[in-house]
Parts: sequence; C-alpha cells; structure tokens
Amino acid sequence: MSDGFGWKNPVLGRELLDRLRSPKTVLTILAIAVGTCLLVQLRWPSDSRLDVVSQSSMEVFRPLAYVLTLAVMFLVPAFPATSLVNERRKGTLALLLNSPLRPWQIYIGKWLSNVILAMIMISASMPALSACYAMGGITFRSHIGPLLVVLLAMAIQYSAVGLWVSVRSHSTDASLRMTYVVVLVLSVLSVGPLAIVGNLSGGAGWIANAFTALSPLSALQEITQSQSQVTDLGLSRGWLDFLVATFFVTILFGALTMMKLDPILMDRVKPIGKVTPKGTAYAVLRRIAFLIDPNQRKAGIPLWINPVMVKEFRTRKFGRLHWLLRIVACCIIVSLALTVVSATGTVNWGVQRIAAAMVLLQVGMLMLLGPSLGASLIAGEVESGGWQILRTTPIGPIRILTGKLWSVVWTMLILLLATLPGYIVMGYIVPVMVGQVNNVLISLLFVALFVVSTSACVSGFARSAAVATITSYTILIAFFAGTLMIWLARGKPFGPIFVERALMFNPAAAALAEIQAPGFESYQLTPWSWWLSGTISGFCLVVLTIRTWLLSRPD
Amino acid sequence: MNSSSEPVVETQNLTKRYGDFVALDGLSIHVHRGEILGFIGPNGAGKTTTIKILVGLSRPTSGSAKIAGVDCSSDGKRIKRLVGYMPDKFGSYDNMRVREYLDFFGAVFGIPLSKRKRRVEEVLDITDATYMQDKFVESLSHGMQQRVGIARTLLHAPEVLILDEPANGLDPKARIEMREILLRLADQGKTLIVTSHILPELARICSTVAIVTGGKLRAFGKLDDVMKSICPRRSYEIQVSDAADFTTAERSIAELLLSDEPIEASQAERLFRFPTARSEADLSEVLRRLIMGGLPITQFREVASDLEDAFLTIAQTKVPS
Repeated sequence: MSDGFGWKNPVLGRELLDRLRSPKTVLTILAIAVGTCLLVQLRWPSDSRLDVVSQSSMEVFRPLAYVLTLAVMFLVPAFPATSLVNERRKGTLALLLNSPLRPWQIYIGKWLSNVILAMIMISASMPALSACYAMGGITFRSHIGPLLVVLLAMAIQYSAVGLWVSVRSHSTDASLRMTYVVVLVLSVLSVGPLAIVGNLSGGAGWIANAFTALSPLSALQEITQSQSQVTDLGLSRGWLDFLVATFFVTILFGALTMMKLDPILMDRVKPIGKVTPKGTAYAVLRRIAFLIDPNQRKAGIPLWINPVMVKEFRTRKFGRLHWLLRIVACCIIVSLALTVVSATGTVNWGVQRIAAAMVLLQVGMLMLLGPSLGASLIAGEVESGGWQILRTTPIGPIRILTGKLWSVVWTMLILLLATLPGYIVMGYIVPVMVGQVNNVLISLLFVALFVVSTSACVSGFARSAAVATITSYTILIAFFAGTLMIWLARGKPFGPIFVERALMFNPAAAALAEIQAPGFESYQLTPWSWWLSGTISGFCLVVLTIRTWLLSRPD
Repeated sequence: MNSSSEPVVETQNLTKRYGDFVALDGLSIHVHRGEILGFIGPNGAGKTTTIKILVGLSRPTSGSAKIAGVDCSSDGKRIKRLVGYMPDKFGSYDNMRVREYLDFFGAVFGIPLSKRKRRVEEVLDITDATYMQDKFVESLSHGMQQRVGIARTLLHAPEVLILDEPANGLDPKARIEMREILLRLADQGKTLIVTSHILPELARICSTVAIVTGGKLRAFGKLDDVMKSICPRRSYEIQVSDAADFTTAERSIAELLLSDEPIEASQAERLFRFPTARSEADLSEVLRRLIMGGLPITQFREVASDLEDAFLTIAQTKVPS
C-alpha cells in the first residue's frame, strides 16, 4: 500500500487509535457481541429433531441479520458525522490542510478508519453467526458471507455519507441530524418509489429500481429469504445490486467531500446577516418564496411570551419557521399522496397499510428531529456559555426550562399536525376508522412527549450538545428498536403476552396497533402504553426540572 | 471620574474553599462609585472566584460581599439587577442578529417592549455598535463581540459592571476603543471591576488596583499609592550626546551616586540608568553638577515603573502562609 492508503497514513493511524482507545468504542463492541449472542440464545430451538432444527435456523438468522443491519445503520454514521466538523471547530482541520498531506489522503485516512472500526464492530457478531451456521440450514456462501458483505458495504456507504455531511456542517449536532436523515433516505425512503408505483417498465421503472438498489432492505430480504412476505411491496432487488449502488454512492460522496476539503473553498466568509428591505419588490418575492422571510428584521419579544422560547426558535436553523413550514408542506403532500393512491387503487395496500406507512413516517420524523432538538436544550446552552449569562439574569430556572421545552413541543406538534389532512381523508374514505385515527394521534402525541422528555433529560447531564444528541439517539433507539426486535422474535422464543407487554413501552407500537398495521393486529396496547410512556416522560421531566434547578444554583 | 465616599462594592474577609483548596483567603476590598478597579493576578489567583461571588454565581465559604448594600449571596435576585456581568466567554447564539440578541436579554430583564427598543439603541450608541445591529452575532470579530457583550451588560442600567478580561484577544485598535468605552462608562457614574492580563492597558484606565496571588490580596489601593508602596525606588536615565569618552562619563556619574545606586550603562544607546530613592531636589543637584562638569547630557528623565513591574515584584515575593 502507498502512504496515502496504507498504515503510514498518519490520519488513519491517529483516528483509529483515538477511537479504539475510547471506552465508548469498547462498550459498543461488547454490546454488539453480547446482544447478538443473547438473541441467538433466546431463539435457539428446543426441539432436538434435525429437520426442525435446520428449519429453525433461518428463524434465528433472520432477526440476527436485521439487528446487525440496524446496528450498522445507527452506530456507524455517528463516527464520521462528527469527525470533520469537530476538526474544523477545533481548528485542527486547517492544520491538516496546511500540512503536506493531500485532501484525498486526509479523506482516505478518516474514511478507512471508520470502515475498519465498523469491521471490528461487525466481527463482534461472529460468535452469534457461527452459532447459526452450526445449527445447520445456513451456509456461508448463501447467507453468512453475503450478509457480512452487505453490512460492510453499508459501513462503506454510510462512512462516505457521514464525512460528506460532516465537511459541510458547522455544528456537531446538526451534522449528526443531517447524516441520519440522509441514511434514512438512502436506506428506507429509497424503496418508496417502487413500493408506491409498483414494477413499472421503461424509464420510470428503471429509476424506481435504481432507487431501491440504494437500500440494503431488499438485499437483506434476499439473503434472509423473506421476499415472500413482501412481494406485494415489489421489492425484489438482489444484494449484488446493492453492492453496485454502494460503489457509486461511495465514489460520489467521496468525490464531493474531497472537493470540499480545499483550504480555499473552506475559507468562507461567515454569513453576516442580510436584511430584506421593507416595501420592495424583492421583499414581496421573498415573502412568496418563504411565507416567513428569515431575513426580515424581527419584532421585539413581548413580555407576555417566554423570551427563552422565542430565542430557541430564532437561534436554531432547523426550528426556524420557514424550515418548519417546508417540512409541514412535505408531510401534507406525502400523507395526502399516500391516502389518494390507496383510495384510487393505484396500489392494493389497503387503508391499514397506508396508515401504517404514515405512522412510520411520522415516528421517523419525530425520532429524527426530537432527540436533536431536545438534547441541545440545556447542553447546547452550557456549551455555548449562554447558561452562565442566563444565570446572572433575573429569569428563573423553571421559566428557562419551560421556554425551552415549549419551543420543542410546538415544533413536534406542528409536525404531528402536518399529516392531519391525510388522516382526515382516510376518515372520509373509511368512516369507521375515525376512532382508530384519534387513538393513533394520541399515541403519536405520547411518542413526541417521550422523545422530547427523554432527550431533554439527557441534555441536563451532558456538557456538549453532540454528546447529548448521541446519547439520546442511543437510548431512544434502544427503546423503540429494542421493543420492535422483541416483536420480530414473536412466537419464538417470546410468547404473545411477553411481546404485548414489551410493546407497551413503545408508544409508536401502540399507534401501529391502533391502526391495525400488519403484524400488530392482535395487540391491545392502549391505554396502558399511554400510561407507561406518560409515566416515563413525567419521571424524565421531574429529573430534568431538579437538574436545571441545581444547575442554576450558585456553586 | 467622580467617586463618592460610600463604597458601592465591598467585600469583608471573603473566603472560598473547595475541599482543602483555598481559592480565596480573606479578601477585603471596596470600590467607590465611578471608580474602575483593576483586578490583577496570575491564573488561579482567585480573580474569577471573587467575580463569581460578586455576581451571585458562587457562594463564599465565609466573609461577605455586598454591592450597593445588598448581600451577594443571600439576595441574588436584587444583585442580578444591580450588576452587569460580562464573562470571558461571550455566549453567542447562532442565527441571531445583534439587535435580536440585545432584545432577548432586554426581555429577560423584563424591560417593557415600548422602552426596550430605545434602550437597545442607547446601549448600541454607547458602545459604538449601532452599525452592526443587523449582523449575526457569531459573524462578528472578537472585538465587535466584546462591544456587544458590554452593550448587553448595560441593558438593564446596572450600577456596577464586572468585566472579565474584556481586552483579551483584541487588536491594538480595538483595545483603544474598548478603553475609551470603559472610561466613558466610568464618567457616567458606573462602577467597574475589570480583570485583565494586559497590565499596561489596566494602568491606563484604573483608578484603583487590587493584586491577588494564591487567593490572597497582596496590594490594594489607588494606583499611584500601590506603585509607590511596591516600587519605592524610581529609575532614572541619563543620555549623553557624545559616546567618544563613554568611560569617563560613566566614572563622573558614578562618583555622584551612592553605593546602593548601581549604574547600568549601554554604550550603543549612550545611556546610563540607575535606581534611586532620593528626593527630586537631590537629583537636581546631581544634574547641575554633571552639567557643570561638562558632560554633554541630552536627557535626564525618570523611567516610569509600570503596573507590570509592580505585579512582577509581587508575584516574585513568596505568599505569606
């Protein structure tokens, strides 16, 4: 290997050592190893007959493959997403770019270190995969090998994506948020066109197929032999297609990142803040384009409004009203489109499936936005130094906290209301579903409450917004994905009562059960799920209040 | 600067301990209205601890701190209205313009909307920051941000301004501007406590100085008094026009000086320097005799000892246990 690609690349050596020395990395690797082994142990067949055992091996292998995919999807992007933006904020990126190292060497060092780290994480699942292999019915050539290759390809793709987002971002939490959005689009939403329009021929069909190849889901279905369950979704791409797509995506994002790693390009003037002159044609144009022009001079904060809430809305780019309006508009269009294609019979999914898609869309939005908004509430203020200044003002800790919480709650409510038109149309098509829709909306409110309170509580204990964001995502994914994993393992080894009780901790599952989503029809999760998530949220808010009060006290 | 007899800021035996570590040990200072107190000390001397106690961010282990008669540790709410505090870390918010930033803090201090707009304009005017009102706070240079920081501390018209390292990281021009703003505020009757590592900068604006090392107050008082008490011996310089007979000139000067007045000579600069505690009358006699002796003197002047010398003198002295 040459200096740029090999171990002599100083960036690679430093990055890898830094990461491997971190206790968090060791814990993550251990968690993967223990978690996957535990999953195999739980699913291990109790019947000793050979033919039954070999049939059961796929039932063990399938959830294991999905758990590993989720682990790679959520853990791998976190490292590259914080990599370049952190270097830039600390000023070390300028030092690197000023060194004899070429931008591509810096990129390769960072990218390769992430890929190697992901390989180490994936290799922690080898004991569990070996157990599947030992059970029989699973071969290395058809199952384990392709799965490992797909997982590695995901790591390669997401590392490139994370670095690209990182080089363009100005803050760590914004970089994390955007990276997860791109990963979600690539891995889940990319199957949307084919799932909605079906197997078309010609150019439209080719484009829809190309999008589907971006997602590892169809590759996983092939490897775990679960296509038969989703043939009606039209996802039939193979894992080799995914590898080809990964190659092109990685090259594309890599090239874009390397182009950006240019000292001249990075030496950008900070936006100094333009103000739209009032009463001009330009102002009218911007009003049409934005509805709420971000460049307009803001009015003073009236005393009857919590100033901290207004400050939160004004200071975060994503929470600003023109951005929210864009998201709301997208949600309205998607929800109405889903309802219309269902009603007009474009796809034969049935209303329940459409409603499930809408619920998942909303939960995805809440999960993406909620933790990053909630986690920066206190931690971001402490990190910026604003907390110390606020402590020297007459505003009390409870008012600060309520102002901050309301800023996130309003954002979440606006997002929830965005899909309301879709539900209204659905209620119009199937009037008997009105009651269900009401329960779904209540469950989604609890999802929002749960996400915000948990991440805000984490925020009270972290010193930086990035740490709080990563911790919040980890806790919430463990809650939401963990209970869904138990649901995936329903029948064996978990009985229906155990699965139902586990799902009660997940308000998103309650929403899916209320809408009678496929696989959730038999569970009665409300109102217990609401009580549980309400209690956990309440506990988190009490802890957060005490913590905020303590933080505001004199030392 | 108009100082009254009643101290606005007063600490009595202020002590702060963190476990076994004594961060502040019996600090007693007082600052009058319109005075600028220069708070000097090396890193870890106890400056920030004192400031934190004064603004209500920390509680003393013993002793008391009062601002305008209000106890800093027991009446935090009133203290917050009496004090304007600018920490060394600016505390900016992303995507917020200067005017929005000031409006937010005005709202936090409960200034009614009708009065706030005018107040924001006033503080922007005082700090010469009106031209940057529509700029994003994070896009400003460090010097500009410091000005916005001072504008923020002035919003609620506090009696006392406490500024932690306001000149830190500023270029010479920004430092001069900062100095002018602080002097203007003192002229308006504000009491200022300013910490800085740039001691010549403090010497130009401070009427009173407090030097702390190791948590103890080592010197406190009017700047001139402190200087005299720390550096009683002044330095004088004699420059001659002709360096041809430099050794003879050195001998002539040395003959007129006392044994504890060692002479330092620099032939390249044609300069002689010596420390002395003698009166000005004695020194004028020395000068007269040198001129009478035919020495071609071009300069005979006192070298002003600065705050830096005083600080170094104190810093080199062992802290009494």
